[in-house]
Amino acid sequence: MSQPISLKDAERKVFRTATNDGLWDMFLGCFFIMFSVAPLLSARLGDFWSSAVFLPVWGLLYLAIRQIRKRVILPRVGYVIFGETRRAALGRLSFLMLVVNLLALVLGILAALNYRSIPGQLTSMAFGLMLLLGFSFAAYVLNLPRLYLYGLLAGLSPLVGEWLFSRGLTTHHGFPVTFGAVAGVMILIGLGLFVQLLRSYPAPENGLPGRQA
Amino acid sequence: MARTLPDQDLHPLADIDQVIHASARLMVLTYLYVVESADYVFLKNLTGLTWGNLATHLAKLEQAGYVEIEKTFLGKKPHTRLRLTELGRKAFREYKRSMQQVLDDLPD
Repeated sequence: MSQPISLKDAERKVFRTATNDGLWDMFLGCFFIMFSVAPLLSARLGDFWSSAVFLPVWGLLYLAIRQIRKRVILPRVGYVIFGETRRAALGRLSFLMLVVNLLALVLGILAALNYRSIPGQLTSMAFGLMLLLGFSFAAYVLNLPRLYLYGLLAGLSPLVGEWLFSRGLTTHHGFPVTFGAVAGVMILIGLGLFVQLLRSYPAPENGLPGRQA
Repeated sequence: MARTLPDQDLHPLADIDQVIHASARLMVLTYLYVVESADYVFLKNLTGLTWGNLATHLAKLEQAGYVEIEKTFLGKKPHTRLRLTELGRKAFREYKRSMQQVLDDLPD
């Protein structure tokens, strides 16, 4: 029975046990599918509707995740209300995400207004940096190392896409290929975590959970 | 409540709370210390204890006034919520301080 005695380790284990179900990874992956598919739809639907069409999909996905958590995850893993330290960290993360998203929105609007005068590489670099920063903040605050990987992959996507596009290897600035790959990685990791959780925490029988190593 | 060792020469070892000092109960208290509350299933998954073991240790902790056990229903299913009481938090901090002192005082 070798369990952590460090309070920090114990707190991290609590957080990971409660959240490491892969559902948010899959949700993020679906979010990045938008970056991959929206450019392909823009010719038919226009720039606004090619992205807006995903909003109801995310809404439905969010509701589906809540239901899966309630019906599948929580009966197996159990319920927990985090302590003050974790709640404060989540609050800080929300604030940082708000700042990063607002900054991205401002940069996006500026880029759209000066679309012809700003080089594509610069817009891609700014976009990539925003993604890298956002994921890195989240990885640091939540202490989830795989988010650094997501940040790196997502941050490199616009640059790699632009590079592929400049060589005529892809269309739509390479977004369908690069962001499609990032979305695939996220969904696969999420799926792996979800399956692992289902195998580690069998469904409860008669109100009691199954074996736990 | 908290038993002490008889040899007062070994103070502060004598001050160590024996209710907390058992490894399983220490583990339970450590996890409950870092959360606001958790249910039975979550704590069982974290500690790896059996149902019977966990119930026995929780009963001792509840008897000592360190843990509050609240039985409710989530829909039609029974749900047992566990949280550390103020006394439990104080006792855990005191235990941590005593153990640190004991270990610091030991010669290398």
